[in-house]
Amino acid sequence: MTVEEIRAHIDPIRHEFAEARSLILPALKFAQTEKGHLTREDLEAVGEATGFSAAYVESVASFYDRLYLRPTGERVVSVCVTLSCMLRGADELLEHVCEREGLPHDGGTSEDGRITVQEVQCLGYCDRAPCVQVDAEETRGPLSLDDADALLEELRSSPRPERLWR
Amino acid sequence: MADYAPVDLTAEGQVEFELNGRKVTAPAGTMLVDAAFAHGVEVPIFCYEPRLGPPVGACRMCLVEVEGMRGLQTACSTPVQPDMVVRTTSELAKDGQDGVLEFLLENHPLDCPVCDKGGECPLQDRTFRFGPGKTRFVEPKRHFPKPLDLSSLIAIDRERCIQCWRCVRFSQDVAEDKLLVMEDRGAGSVVATLTGDQYVGRFTGNVIDLCPVGALTSIPYRFRARPWDIRNTPSVCGHCPCGCNVELTEREGAVQRVTGRPDPNYAVEEGWLSDLCRFAYAGNDGPDRLRAPAIRDEGRVKEAQLDEAVDAAALVLGRGGKVGILVGPRATVEEGFLAQELARAALPGALVQRLGIPGAGLEAIRSQPAAQLGDIDGADLVVVVGGDPGEQQGIVELRVRKARRRGATVVTVGPRPHGLEGLGTAVRSEPGRLAAALEALELPAAERMIVLWDEADLAAEPDAAGALARLAGERGARQIELGLDVNGAGLRALGMGATEVLDAARRGEIDTLLTIHADPLDGPGGPEWGWALGRVRARVAIASFASTLTESSTVTIPASTHYETEGVYVSMNGRAQRLRPVTAGPEASAPGWEILIALMHRLGAPPPYRTAAATFAAAAAARPALAGLDYDALGVLGAPVAGVAPVSPNGVNGPREPAGTGLPLVTTTRMFGGADAYRAEALAWVRTGAELVLNPAEGARLGLADGARARLRSPFGECALPVRLDPAHPAGAAFATTGVPEAGVERLLPADRGPVRVEIEVVG
Repeated sequence: MTVEEIRAHIDPIRHEFAEARSLILPALKFAQTEKGHLTREDLEAVGEATGFSAAYVESVASFYDRLYLRPTGERVVSVCVTLSCMLRGADELLEHVCEREGLPHDGGTSEDGRITVQEVQCLGYCDRAPCVQVDAEETRGPLSLDDADALLEELRSSPRPERLWR
Repeated sequence: MADYAPVDLTAEGQVEFELNGRKVTAPAGTMLVDAAFAHGVEVPIFCYEPRLGPPVGACRMCLVEVEGMRGLQTACSTPVQPDMVVRTTSELAKDGQDGVLEFLLENHPLDCPVCDKGGECPLQDRTFRFGPGKTRFVEPKRHFPKPLDLSSLIAIDRERCIQCWRCVRFSQDVAEDKLLVMEDRGAGSVVATLTGDQYVGRFTGNVIDLCPVGALTSIPYRFRARPWDIRNTPSVCGHCPCGCNVELTEREGAVQRVTGRPDPNYAVEEGWLSDLCRFAYAGNDGPDRLRAPAIRDEGRVKEAQLDEAVDAAALVLGRGGKVGILVGPRATVEEGFLAQELARAALPGALVQRLGIPGAGLEAIRSQPAAQLGDIDGADLVVVVGGDPGEQQGIVELRVRKARRRGATVVTVGPRPHGLEGLGTAVRSEPGRLAAALEALELPAAERMIVLWDEADLAAEPDAAGALARLAGERGARQIELGLDVNGAGLRALGMGATEVLDAARRGEIDTLLTIHADPLDGPGGPEWGWALGRVRARVAIASFASTLTESSTVTIPASTHYETEGVYVSMNGRAQRLRPVTAGPEASAPGWEILIALMHRLGAPPPYRTAAATFAAAAAARPALAGLDYDALGVLGAPVAGVAPVSPNGVNGPREPAGTGLPLVTTTRMFGGADAYRAEALAWVRTGAELVLNPAEGARLGLADGARARLRSPFGECALPVRLDPAHPAGAAFATTGVPEAGVERLLPADRGPVRVEIEVVG
């Protein structure tokens, strides 16, 4: 994404934000629509468009789970590991999902490029713990290990939906 | 580092409040931590650092009980209020502090025997003083691959980090290099740079001093010593003319580390150091250090004992004929004064000169009221005239940035683009037309205006110096000289001129030359000096490092460097400060002032004193500019020199019209480009070579592409440089970097560093 494209996107909404740094998030979200993740060039372009250093932009991007600093698979499964979910078996759930997809224990992208698993901090779904979020859109829980198997089957067999960032 | 901000308990607007049962006062708006500390009550802190700007309350270490407020409050971010009742040691407050420390230590590895900060670690100290004494955590600690290099100078051990944000705030808010950030969140948060790039800047080492745990450590110092087997000495940096106050660490006779002082000098550097000041010490013991005296006899060089060399030097100097004495800008006030005394008492008729910019025409601006560097903070208008302060007088940049953050307007005027231009309005002057730019300058109204002016640029254009002096006078501005020479101001204060020896040598009138920390052949005007020195019969060099001059001197006597000698340096804006030796230096070397006193004894004119302190006292009594200064009273923070400014005697600069034909040459020195940076291996990775920078239009006109090699020729000499085309640099001038030893841009300049034009052609 070029600086000009990002500027064209954020200039009309600039007035909505009291502080310039608040523009970084919409700019990053927009920059991500191109490839589904953010490259170093994107971070630099967002920095230039918003007036912040690329390093600062990266620190914002790395804070949010729905901004991806690496290429993702077609479907993204985010497993919440914060307290409520942890107490209800999130660690086992994460391990199970990763094992099934042949990934290291803290996630990654399956070899066929279909599924990305990541652990995330609180999804705000504590009453349905343990929970996962699919494609940063739909949150499901509580999930047993069998439910997780079924979910992965479903994701593998269903086409990629229009996502927020595409 | 400075943990608590100084509080003036006598200032107006005090509010009364209760602190641990005592009625006390502090100025309204003072943060509780500072007010408490001023009254002898220490509230433990980690993230709080008054020099980093407003508090962030990130570490929660300073929790205290404030009556009427629910829960504990962070004392670092709570201003004192009238009738506030504060308890810092109540059971509730203690419980909070215990809890924070227990939490911080949950993952901190406690590897004190391994960590370089062990023994100097606030976390360690505060755990002992304020901590719970035991922990409930039994789980294994986190482990990361360690350490990671944040740069070639700074390593980070991530598990030690307590996420106080000090380093990130320094990078973002003080140096404003914007390179360090906190990445990821929660338990995954780490200090990082953009996708792992090196943390490259001019002030990066300050984050090592700032880190309250051992997460950020100096790679050159890592594992070199333990706090209990080193000796620290407060001294002054001798790598640029700012006079930054430093603490030198010695172990086994060598300088092992340079850090900011625990109690910074707020009038000078405020505790921040440039990376040159912090890491250049490694060059002190470099391969070009002179370790043995040498006597050259009929072409043969004989290594000698120190005594023998001094005897030989006295013999050479005392055998009749006219003696010239050249004092280099690194010589201390005492060494300069002794050189003058040597000429007066032992070698009648000898000429003494300092090596530096003559500076005639600068009296008007120098006689305007002077400010200290610390005064820049409080200015509401800062005007920077000429120079490249961020590269040449590093710490000035941080002061100007701070003033700008506090609302000051910054105006820069000068021929070359530099880092401070982006802070405000930049007025680009044509080379040689600074006066016109200053006459036309429109400045906003300001109560507290400070003018920073470059010694070399204004000495080359005395009419601009006059214009600036008028401007400063009309506006009631105070001025700060951006000098180039480490102790140039100190030698000027002695009344030492800068042209006599060269002129006399040119005329063939000098028989024997004595140089003291002076290296004329490798500096500006090298070819001129080379020609003039060809007519000198014998040379005696008192020097710390080998140079073209020492390699052919009749007698060479190794002298102590600024790490190894006592004495006084006067910083560029006139602050006298004491050097304190931290090591003795090579065995067969001695401080320059000791060598000079020995020479005076040998020549039959012993001075009535034998210490640096007594020499300084004699200088202060004899030289009006130093009157009233007392060696002991200089203490560790120094004192302003009242009368140094207007003195620039015997100054007859070179022709004001640039010498030569072609493009005007505008030179600058890079912080990591000079000889000091080249000596220090630790700085090799940031070293900058010399280059010729041209506007692309100018490059096209001369047929020079980016990366081509060009030959520059002036009436004084020539050199070859790689070309960089940069649209930020204006057309109509050639910009080149001085200081790089092998590039030799100095050869293009006249000895007085006056204006010069250069012819440029493609090489090959």
